[in-house]
Amino acid sequence: MNKVFNRGNAAGIITVIVLLLLWQVIAMWKQTVYVPPVSTIFLTFLKEWFSPTFGQQAVPSLYRMAVGYFFASLIGIAIGIVIGSFKRIYQLLDPVLQFWRAIPATAIIPVGILLIGIGDQMKMVVICFGAMWPILINTADGARLVPTERLDTARIFGLTPIETLLRVILPSATPMIAAGMRTGLSIAFIMIVVSEMIGSTDGLGYYILQAQRTFAIPEMYGGILLLAILGYLLNTGFVWAEHKVLAWHYGQTARPV
Amino acid sequence: MSNPSEILLDVNGLQKRYADGTLAVQEITLNVRAREFVSIVGPSGCGKTTLLKTICALLAPTKGSVKLHGTLITEPPPQMVLVFQDYARSLFPWLTVTGNVMFPLRKRKDMTQAEKETASQRAIEAVGLTKFAKHYPWQLSGGMQQRVAIARAVAFRPEILLLDEPFASVDALTRADLEDLTLQLRDEFGITMLLVTHDIDEAVYLSDRVFVLSTPPSTVLEEIPILLSQPRDQVATRSEPGFLQLRNHIHGLIGKKKEDNSKRFILDSPIPRSVELEGDPVS
Repeated sequence: MNKVFNRGNAAGIITVIVLLLLWQVIAMWKQTVYVPPVSTIFLTFLKEWFSPTFGQQAVPSLYRMAVGYFFASLIGIAIGIVIGSFKRIYQLLDPVLQFWRAIPATAIIPVGILLIGIGDQMKMVVICFGAMWPILINTADGARLVPTERLDTARIFGLTPIETLLRVILPSATPMIAAGMRTGLSIAFIMIVVSEMIGSTDGLGYYILQAQRTFAIPEMYGGILLLAILGYLLNTGFVWAEHKVLAWHYGQTARPV
Repeated sequence: MSNPSEILLDVNGLQKRYADGTLAVQEITLNVRAREFVSIVGPSGCGKTTLLKTICALLAPTKGSVKLHGTLITEPPPQMVLVFQDYARSLFPWLTVTGNVMFPLRKRKDMTQAEKETASQRAIEAVGLTKFAKHYPWQLSGGMQQRVAIARAVAFRPEILLLDEPFASVDALTRADLEDLTLQLRDEFGITMLLVTHDIDEAVYLSDRVFVLSTPPSTVLEEIPILLSQPRDQVATRSEPGFLQLRNHIHGLIGKKKEDNSKRFILDSPIPRSVELEGDPVS
């Protein structure tokens, strides 16, 4: 658990403080409008985000991301489990999937705008598309790598194929699914920012780009800082939940049998 | 409960050829009577795992038949449970010991929830793991994990337990404990045992009858009744003169036939090596 939160990592905190101080000193010395001092950024950050702006700009982003990521997980796990469990389907779809997932997810945004427009739906769809691949591929691998003995055990005890899928293959694959979902989460985060920068009237991506275009430089940095904080919290929360749910897996791998 | 002299399991002319043409099991005919302890012993890679998987219908035979109570088996029957050598792979690491033992019982429509709980508690007690019922398999030693796998099989109340080298991955002392445990479970629950092993001493010590297999493609070289005194005892049984005679006899059989077969294989085809890979992946 210490690894997860870096609790009591004094050296790491010192690095952060030194870097911030360095920024502050250089910014005050150079006096450029493009890189304001840290203190200005912090003050702007507090003013901007502890205000209705949070509800207007951050909440829509988080909402789109939540919906897109939810469907990415749902579709990725469902298709992944089926592909990984049935060799024929795997052989049939693998080349298509390998090629398809090689498309950088952001490249799909223009297609999304073309087909769906620039509303909430487009963002949810492209987030879902981007985040789905690592979840799908990892789930399929997890399902494919279930030990034969475990599947044979299920057959011996008379489980139907559906029961085997739900009660043996799915739980066996959860560590891989979680790894895919973690990668998917960071992709979803990238997708929300980029899609809002390209076609949106609100959201954090829109806010940051708009701040840059209107020379509201401290606001731009403040938006980036908020993204950093949200990203860190999401990832930390995910890892925490993963360790709770998969306690059996981490216990097992921590002590080699 | 079945009549002790009745033939419970009847394996007749069983052959298994893999899709790639590899002949793992040439022709095996053997039978197991109710409450009997029968071992199949043979050299490493003689297709023993393939044979057991074919017997319990996890694999379809190329030729021959397997009958349980005279009924042809085509799907794994509920009266028959297979215990694997690799307990770590066959157990469910996300379930506790109790969870693992209860797992197959959810399929038993003929038992009430209370009966299932009693059956699982009794099986866990019989293998001596009551104190560890709430532990996860990976928190236990290898021998204890194999006990969990055995308890899970026993709680399901099968008539016959197929054991695929179940003691091959544990240390010698644990192995002796587990051997005696299977004998005790046979008596306590009246379960018939069919064990596959490459350990000749183990086969002789445990069994009422031993079938000796040849190198692949395997056939039965000899059926040997083991008429040692009952109950078996790790020290006394193993020092009986009959025990030594039997094990020397089987050693002779396996050693001699191996040479004969290897000569024949050089003339015939390079099949044996691939059989070892295909048929017995764990050993």
